[in-house]
Amino acid sequence: MQEVPEFWRTEIWHPLSVHLPVALLLVATFFKLFERILKKEYLNKGGNILLLIGVIGAWAAIYTGDLADGVVGRKICDPTVLKSHENASYTTTWLFTSAFVTVIILSAGFIKKFRGLIMWIVVLLMFTGSGFLLYTGHLGAELVYQQGAGVYHPSGDCGEFGN
Amino acid sequence: MKKLFLKAFSMIAILTLLIACGEKTDVVESGTYEGAIKKIEPEKTEIYVETTDGKTLELYFTDTTTLTRNGETVEFSTLQENQKVEVEVEKVGNRLDPISVKIQE
Repeated sequence: MQEVPEFWRTEIWHPLSVHLPVALLLVATFFKLFERILKKEYLNKGGNILLLIGVIGAWAAIYTGDLADGVVGRKICDPTVLKSHENASYTTTWLFTSAFVTVIILSAGFIKKFRGLIMWIVVLLMFTGSGFLLYTGHLGAELVYQQGAGVYHPSGDCGEFGN
Repeated sequence: MKKLFLKAFSMIAILTLLIACGEKTDVVESGTYEGAIKKIEPEKTEIYVETTDGKTLELYFTDTTTLTRNGETVEFSTLQENQKVEVEVEKVGNRLDPISVKIQE
């Protein structure tokens, strides 16, 4: 009879760590957009905090994703999807990181001119990042639901789960 | 203002394209290929091999992959970037399982 594997496997850390930054970065993007339209400071500050935590979370997800790659890349039937997922995740993370660095430069007062325009560029970076984020998520879902990446497949009679 | 925004938009587009290119890998038929090691990921026992016809093969070593030099089995740590290798791979779906990796220099 096959045994149920331990839950805290290397590849489990990626799905555990990836969803928080996904949510935060998408919400941060709308905070920054509405801040531009409504000119409310609390939206700016809220957006910055969400962006900061989201970017840190995104890099953490990149790290856990790299760990998972070493396990699932050997088992799935089409690792080219895994490579596309990895590439898109880097693009996403760099775009949001660029947006965050720009926000820091603006907040530090290094740029005096065209602040409004640069804030719009930040929004643009974040919307582009959100597009890639959705694409990355789509590929991640494809890996799990089409190829069973990181998923344990119980036996037909579920005998290993006992009674 | 419009010109500046257009410039900024173009820069973002170029930046995105540059990052998005990333690392591309290829899928080939089962067989033996010669090439050079492009990248090594020791913690994953994984190598990228660029074949003589310019294709990049991503190879995760399996329990049965053999790694040899002059006919003798060697450790994974022997591998170095730009090293010439001959790899025999089996295509399983779109995954390439390395059967053997022979260091040629």
